[in-house]
Amino acid sequence: MTARLTAERIRKVFPGTGRSGRATALGGVDLDLSAGQFVSIVGPSGCGKSTLLQILAGLIAPTSGRVLLDGHPPARLLGALGYMPQKDLLMPWRSVLDNAALGMEVGGVPRREARQRAREALPRFGLAGFEDNWPAQLSGGMRQRAALLRTFLGGRDILLLDEPFGALDALTRQGMQGWLLEMWQQERKTILLVTHDVEEAIYLSDRVYLMSPRPGTIRGCLEVALPRPRILAQTLSPAFLEIKARILGPLSEGGLGETVAGEGPSGGLGRVQRSARG
Amino acid sequence: MAGWGASSDPPVDDDGAGPAPGRAINACAARAGGLLPPLLFAMLVLGGWQFFATISNANAITLPRPSQIAAALWQDRSLLASNALITMQEIAIGYAAALALGVGLGWLLSTARMVERAVYPWLVVSQMVPTVAIAPLFVLWTGFDLRPKVLVIVLVSFFPLVVNTIDGLKAVEPDLVGLLRTMGAGRLRIFRSAQFPAALPFIFSGMKVAAASSVIGAVFGEWVGSSSGLGYLILTFNNQTATPEVFAAVAALSAIGIALFGAVSLLERLLLPWYHGPRG
Repeated sequence: MTARLTAERIRKVFPGTGRSGRATALGGVDLDLSAGQFVSIVGPSGCGKSTLLQILAGLIAPTSGRVLLDGHPPARLLGALGYMPQKDLLMPWRSVLDNAALGMEVGGVPRREARQRAREALPRFGLAGFEDNWPAQLSGGMRQRAALLRTFLGGRDILLLDEPFGALDALTRQGMQGWLLEMWQQERKTILLVTHDVEEAIYLSDRVYLMSPRPGTIRGCLEVALPRPRILAQTLSPAFLEIKARILGPLSEGGLGETVAGEGPSGGLGRVQRSARG
Repeated sequence: MAGWGASSDPPVDDDGAGPAPGRAINACAARAGGLLPPLLFAMLVLGGWQFFATISNANAITLPRPSQIAAALWQDRSLLASNALITMQEIAIGYAAALALGVGLGWLLSTARMVERAVYPWLVVSQMVPTVAIAPLFVLWTGFDLRPKVLVIVLVSFFPLVVNTIDGLKAVEPDLVGLLRTMGAGRLRIFRSAQFPAALPFIFSGMKVAAASSVIGAVFGEWVGSSSGLGYLILTFNNQTATPEVFAAVAALSAIGIALFGAVSLLERLLLPWYHGPRG
């Protein structure tokens, strides 16, 4: 069982095309997740969070640095971790049930058994009765749950989630966060979640890494010592707000100091700040 | 909470998970209702034609009335039927060959960038060659039998199949391929689970276009050298200035084309229900 994920000095330089020269997306990122931890990376959009996740998933190679599983470089990183990209990427030609079973099928589980296991898991993911529907018939929240189910059923112990709730409205998002916590507690997975929502990161995680804008580096790391199981009311507690202030401080310095006003990263941060004050 | 999720989060159409029969009946009614406007329009055009041809007292050789054409259809029904059978046979073989060649070639070209770059321009050129002009050569090379007709049909209908197959095999979302790779999928699995299903709607579009052109190909093929078939029949009737009969044969040809197109559309609906199903 693989459960510990370590990243050492991950750098990624894109060659760049034409006038725009080489672009450094990641400038040496260190991460450490121990078994069963829920860890988040918070950063403004465009700070290379998604690139980092793609490197951890084995989809792109880092320029330098390495990824360790249980302390050792794996023979093959691609396929070792569960990965959920920003888009739900449900196959329109597969029913909800068959989409959920995809990871198991690719992993060699016989189709019948994969479908059976997916069918049993559907109710827990709030998809009971929708097994035969096409993804196009589902609402955004349900599509996201189906994609999460597919990721959970993939059988990997470490899951990389790239802004899984980024496209959802605030209310649906809140429900999904609570529900993800439940699933994580039941399934005992190690989760690395990427988000630009500070509150979401604190509410869900044991530890929050802060990332600076391009080139992305880890600016700080905060242990969230709030008791579990977490409840929504905690997001208004003094302890929670204190952690939030400690995260927003360095984030806004970095975000506003290093980027031109009006660009994506600072815009993203400004929004987070406003919501913190409001 | 999970149990609640399903009901508090309704799918976009409210009978999403409901019993299918109701929806099927609705769909049938909608289909039948969809047929009504074009049928009415056709009756309007035919009625206008009949009216115009009657009051202008047009000669049946120049402009036969629809009623005369209908009479010719009925009178020559066995002659038309036996020749239609021959033309249908040519189309069936030619269309199947075009499908195999088109999809096969499209797949081959999509597998290697170099092959595509070398071959694709010549496929386009092959479509610029006037098929009618070189069809006599086919007769010269292969003889008077079925083969030149099949060749012409393949030549005029494989192109949309190649182009659509290539485009379709490229249409798969790169992120989806990435996701499959993180699941440990190999090339074959990616092709089977993502690339091919994503290409199918494109291939069916190509099949529909090819269905129409294959009928034209059959007529060309028969005009160049043949002693039977609906195309041959049209030439013969034309030489006899039997215009109503020409129209009757044309109507029969059209019916074959429509039937082939309809069969392909039906197959598409059966095989790709997700593509036509309610999209919410």
